Amino acid sequence: MAKKIVVDPIPRIEGHLRIEAKMNDANVIEEAYSTGTMWRGIEVILKGRDPRDAWAFAERICGVCTTVHALASVRCVEDALGIEIPTNARIIRNLMEATQHTQDHLVHFYHLHALDWVDVVSALKADPKQASEIAQSLSSWPKSSVGYFKDLQQRLVSFVESGQLGIFSNGYWGHPAYKLPPEVNLIAVAHYLEALDFQKEIVKIQTIFGGKNPHPNYVVGGMACAIDPNSDTAINIERLAMVKKIIDDTQTFIDQVYIPDLIAIAGYYKGWLYGGGLGNFMSYGDFPETNLHDYKSLLWPRGIILNKDLSTVIDVDPRDMSQIKEEIGHSWYSYTKGADKGLHPWEGETKPNYTGPKPPFEFLDTDKQYSWLKTPRWKEHPVEVGPLARVLVAYAKGDPMIKDTVGMVLGKLEVGPEALFSTLGRTAARGIECKQTAGFMRHFYDQLVDNIKKGDYKTFNSERWEPSTWPKEAKGFGYTEAPRGSLGHWIRIKDEKIDEYQIVVPSTWNASPRDNRGNSGAYEAALKGTPMIDPSKPLEILRTVHSFDPCLACASHVFDMNGNEITKVTIV
Amino acid sequence: MSHKTYLTHMTHHRSFERSVLQIISSERELKKINVVGLGNILFGDEGFGVEAIRALEASGSYPESVTFVDGGTQGIYLLDYFESCDALLVFDSIIPVEFEPKVYKYAKEELPAFIHRKMSAHQMGLSELLGVAKLHGREPKEIVLIGAPPHNLDLGGGLSDVMRGHLERAVEMGREVLESWL
Repeated sequence: MAKKIVVDPIPRIEGHLRIEAKMNDANVIEEAYSTGTMWRGIEVILKGRDPRDAWAFAERICGVCTTVHALASVRCVEDALGIEIPTNARIIRNLMEATQHTQDHLVHFYHLHALDWVDVVSALKADPKQASEIAQSLSSWPKSSVGYFKDLQQRLVSFVESGQLGIFSNGYWGHPAYKLPPEVNLIAVAHYLEALDFQKEIVKIQTIFGGKNPHPNYVVGGMACAIDPNSDTAINIERLAMVKKIIDDTQTFIDQVYIPDLIAIAGYYKGWLYGGGLGNFMSYGDFPETNLHDYKSLLWPRGIILNKDLSTVIDVDPRDMSQIKEEIGHSWYSYTKGADKGLHPWEGETKPNYTGPKPPFEFLDTDKQYSWLKTPRWKEHPVEVGPLARVLVAYAKGDPMIKDTVGMVLGKLEVGPEALFSTLGRTAARGIECKQTAGFMRHFYDQLVDNIKKGDYKTFNSERWEPSTWPKEAKGFGYTEAPRGSLGHWIRIKDEKIDEYQIVVPSTWNASPRDNRGNSGAYEAALKGTPMIDPSKPLEILRTVHSFDPCLACASHVFDMNGNEITKVTIV
Repeated sequence: MSHKTYLTHMTHHRSFERSVLQIISSERELKKINVVGLGNILFGDEGFGVEAIRALEASGSYPESVTFVDGGTQGIYLLDYFESCDALLVFDSIIPVEFEPKVYKYAKEELPAFIHRKMSAHQMGLSELLGVAKLHGREPKEIVLIGAPPHNLDLGGGLSDVMRGHLERAVEMGREVLESWL
């Protein structure tokens, strides 16, 4: 009989991601079901509001991938109202977006994902001298002396020995799926701590241009920051110098720490090539060099790849009402015209209709409705979005920078491009992309300085600010490639108010339940076929789910004095 | 708040202000103190920490060396507040070992600091922030956690009556801690 495994962070307490997986007798996952356990409902909150305010609400969907919803929102309102933004605003938005990507990817890799590959407790057994030699062979990062690793190891020892070892062992430390030697574990722990420190610096760029972080300020028609080289309170030479310094340090950290770590760690897991999943990938593209809707000017190209076929990139048009549709056959929603047909977001609806079991419950009925996420599909195809999708679309389109970095990483690992279709490939793509977006930060910084030197200080276009200048009815589409993938906001404006607003977020694409034809979403497909060494410690499931960088609403943080795991694992 | 409670509240408030002023006038260097409230105010009692620091801040005036931080669910972004002070006072909803409906106070040595296994980046909690601060070697000299166990974690609606009832005691305990530090 098939066994079931459920991974659910604090059931009942918080809305989050829940995975139910069925295993066969050999502990290989045969089917997986992904559930969003909390309703978002921002779309309902936005109805009837001033479209110029939408970004401030939408941005608060998430406190981690902050910025991106504000960006998609102002873009969709500007699209609806035909507003052109000044050059400086375009560049500043691009710079902030590149900053967000770079910081988010670094945090994700070290803070969330690295511990799926790195065994912290094993680092206690490391020889600091050998760790130092390995670190120096990997890169020229200065923090690599014997003394540095010795000191860190001592702190780690006293941490573990401070009477809290029982709590520490609550992780999956010692799990046989961990493959790194103690010295590489020690290096990774050192960089985990350094990365947590360093990411604080990167976000300062958001505060310089957006006033604060998280949730920096945007404005429909441009950016809410003034440029004036002679003012103390505006973006001036001093602030720009600070931005430049942060960009320099960021590029150094990624080149000397992140990328070498990625290659070193991946080298030990080359044989673990599970988690490839759908083989269909989509990117809306992003980072416009001219107008957002001039797709040729996007630094990240737009396109779709089907069935891992890198020889063909298909066009995607999110405005075409026949392409992207959200289905609800397995979701807790209803549609006025019936649940059997998908709706394009411009005709979309948000009507909650919970039909699941009354919590607390053990299992969901996955033959029926089982998620608060809808099921977005492109021409009925499930697609994966995110770093791997973007890297593959750019690679298939022959982007020279991406081809170089992908070639370098694959070359050092001595694997072919087919290795990219895996959990590890997704993790590698995030690092490759992080290096690229750090390069974009410099590119947009240079653009901004050049434009300011020309005497252009304009950041805001007020022409269509007043609602009296708007048409009676309008519809718009705004998009961005958020760190986790393609993000689209679709708006309908009527009589100066928001008539309908639909948001399709990256994690809806990736974590969606089955579609109306029974096809799995990206998480579900990626987990299929994964062997589990010890189902009571489902490290393999977490590896693959983490490789997508899940972002499901906002978590809660009840502090447990007993040190219990906040992720519940049930096996039946 | 009943009239009687309000009076008690005001009495505490004034005596506290006096003591703070005495210290300020003595002109010695003040410790940098961060007071951080953790929790999600959208999840009923989960927002206890945030409500508690709001009440504490409103209940008196404090020297500039005391910073109140509505930490919400910001997790990792709060690390700087944990590492940049001499003394740290945290308010949070907690699951204590014995789970009695009352306000608990824990000193630094009683707090578990560890690295959790997480599903998403949202889940960096107090224990992990303490753990990382410790491993960075930048743990504040003094740390106190004040919290109470949640009764209702449903979406919306704010604190339950039981939890709201704990606020006054939590503020009182918080003031005692701050007075001892100042």
